Amino acid sequence: MIATLLSLLLRAVVVLAGTAVLTFALLWNAPGDPAQAIAMARFDALLTEDVIDQVREEVGLNANFWGAFVDWVGPLLVLDFGNSAVTGRPVWPDLWVSITYTFPLALAGLAIGLVISLPLAILATQHPGRLLDRFAVAIASLGTAIPAFWLGLLLILLFAVQLDWLPAMGARTPAHAILPALTLGLGVAASLTRIIRSGILEARGQQFLPALSRRGVSPKAIGRDHVAPHAAVPVVTVVGLELAFLLEGLVVVEVIFGRPGLGTFLTSAILDRDFPHVQAVVVLTALVFVSVNLIVDVIYRQIDPRIGERDA
Amino acid sequence: MTLRVSGLSAMRSGRTILHPTSLTIEPRARIGLVGTSGSGKSTLGHALIDDLRAQGHSVAHVPQSPDEALDPLRSMAFHWREAEWALGLQPGSADQKTLFTALKIAGGDLRKRPWGWSRGMQQRFVIAMALIGSPDLIVLDEPTSALDPVVAAATMDLLDRHLEGRATAMMLITHDLGLAARRVSTLMVMQEGRIVEQAPTAEILERPKTRASKSLTAHRNWMALPC
Amino acid sequence: MLKIDQVSVRRGSSVALEDISLSIPHAKTLAVVGESGAGKSTLIAAILGLIKPWKGKITWAGAAVSSCRPALVMQEPRSAFNPVLSLRRSVLEPISAQGTSVPGERIKRLCDGLELSAEILDRRPSEVSIGQAQRVGILRALIAAPPLVLFDEPLSALDAVTQKHTAKLITDLRSEEGFAALIVTHDIGYAVAHADEIAVLKSGRIEEVATARSFAASPQSSYGQTLRDAAISLGALDTAA
Repeated sequence: MIATLLSLLLRAVVVLAGTAVLTFALLWNAPGDPAQAIAMARFDALLTEDVIDQVREEVGLNANFWGAFVDWVGPLLVLDFGNSAVTGRPVWPDLWVSITYTFPLALAGLAIGLVISLPLAILATQHPGRLLDRFAVAIASLGTAIPAFWLGLLLILLFAVQLDWLPAMGARTPAHAILPALTLGLGVAASLTRIIRSGILEARGQQFLPALSRRGVSPKAIGRDHVAPHAAVPVVTVVGLELAFLLEGLVVVEVIFGRPGLGTFLTSAILDRDFPHVQAVVVLTALVFVSVNLIVDVIYRQIDPRIGERDA
Repeated sequence: MTLRVSGLSAMRSGRTILHPTSLTIEPRARIGLVGTSGSGKSTLGHALIDDLRAQGHSVAHVPQSPDEALDPLRSMAFHWREAEWALGLQPGSADQKTLFTALKIAGGDLRKRPWGWSRGMQQRFVIAMALIGSPDLIVLDEPTSALDPVVAAATMDLLDRHLEGRATAMMLITHDLGLAARRVSTLMVMQEGRIVEQAPTAEILERPKTRASKSLTAHRNWMALPC
Repeated sequence: MLKIDQVSVRRGSSVALEDISLSIPHAKTLAVVGESGAGKSTLIAAILGLIKPWKGKITWAGAAVSSCRPALVMQEPRSAFNPVLSLRRSVLEPISAQGTSVPGERIKRLCDGLELSAEILDRRPSEVSIGQAQRVGILRALIAAPPLVLFDEPLSALDAVTQKHTAKLITDLRSEEGFAALIVTHDIGYAVAHADEIAVLKSGRIEEVATARSFAASPQSSYGQTLRDAAISLGALDTAA
């Protein structure tokens, strides 16, 4: 177990290192002159070459690729994200404030997704092929096809504009989080419903189930003790992947609902070409991704240890 | 207690695969249900188990392969507790030690999942589970086909020895008359969803009456050894 | 003839076969018996050249085995065929791949020998019984008249009656066609009844090699004894009363 954990950790480190090199290469080769963009954002005027060169020097854009990479990655290793290229303020405090807005929203979205999809999938699979099941599949397909920005606007139109029940923009009260969380959650619910449904149906086809009922095990116990664990393996994997879509959706949702958070942080950083801000978000995202995948790996090895055996 | 079922039948996709069948099974009976593949043996076995269970008899079932009996994600201990629970017994009340010793799996680690055991041991574990609470009938569906011959022979011997002196009746479902002939006293020969012949084993071996039993008898062994 | 000369095969750090020496003369049958995991399938893979032996060599008439184009009959008959093609196309594939013509007369003769009606070849694998599928598998193996045919558990998917019937067809065809056969099986009864010689394999080593008759009468190794007694106990072999 410790050996597998170590090898999983090693894998995570390799992924992170790869992410670091790739991110830097992308930034390095991004079209447009970052120094000019930074200078423009900082001084808000047309600039002379001298000023731009000075900025270039200051931000460390003068070195060659690998030299610059080493300068760049060193502080990141100790989680020092440096100062904003635009405002000159340290990145971390601003980033932390964004996280405190985004993280609860993401959790709420995932929770809403699970709360809707799990019972829906279980209900639908009671009688596969019947009306309720087809209805659930149709809704889920529709849900995955609807983009978050459109659903978000639709919800604003209905609950904020027409009914005036909920606030649409900003993040002052917890009520402000309801519509964004719902937008995220419905998207998550749509894809999870399909995954959980097929997970359950596949688990129901396991060859040992008829023998269990002939042994006198009740249908309820079979569902709880045998079908559920088998269905959980694909679901756990997908919930991990779902996080990717969640991050993507977060950027859109935060912009639509005018919420502060990582998404807004990232978009304004990109528009300002604020390198340190962009890279901080990218590094953070990679970290979250790798940790979630690590956790998923550990969980499904717990459910089905054969997965680990096969790897070894 | 004598077990009786009547009018068992089964359909699959509009075709009758088991014609109405009635059976009587005495305590301690050793019955072989034989026939070629597709003759409806397993179907009759399943229908028999389901009907007897519905009557309130305790019937145990050992499927062809341990893969059809054990959940790969659950430990052996879990399977055992579950089987006890299904019979309405308190956990730990079945005489696990006696059964395991009789079937020579006392050394198995119950915390492991099925695939942590050899197939031969898994199959014997399934048989041990089937014997919890001394059932009225144990139905074994091709119990040896998934096992190496040496393990298969040993398992059948252990089972025979354990059932000796108990009221439990045994039904052995197999396509192999040679195997059945060595293990059972009564044969039921199936063909196309019907029991076409039923008689003591020796009688069928010596004087098969139907086409099905003649074919089975003729192909019973690979060869007779001179000794 | 097939000559396996002091062959050892390694699988990772363990030894899958150790110091195996066997030979099959022309038109004879050797059965290799033993429990699963004894190395029977590894032996077949080594003969076909799919695994390189670590030591020793395997030859056919002094040359590489591949030069005689050996044929293989597998355990699971249906899955050995492309499910969307007619059986006839699957059967003819190996010869058309060699660019030689299809001798219609030969197909007919083999079909007769295997008790297959020509009409069966126009069906797909899912539309025939397992027993028929296995006989078509044998037809495909024999169509190019290979001098060496390897059988990997050829009967284990079949029921007892079909097993005996198919085994007889294989043996009759062998004496007619004159190929050398290596049969890997765990069924001692089959080996005793249909092979000329029996080799007992255990944990990658040969325990004994004997003629079928003498093995049946009195196995020399204790493991051979165990195997034979198990076969008797399961009713595969009968002791004449």
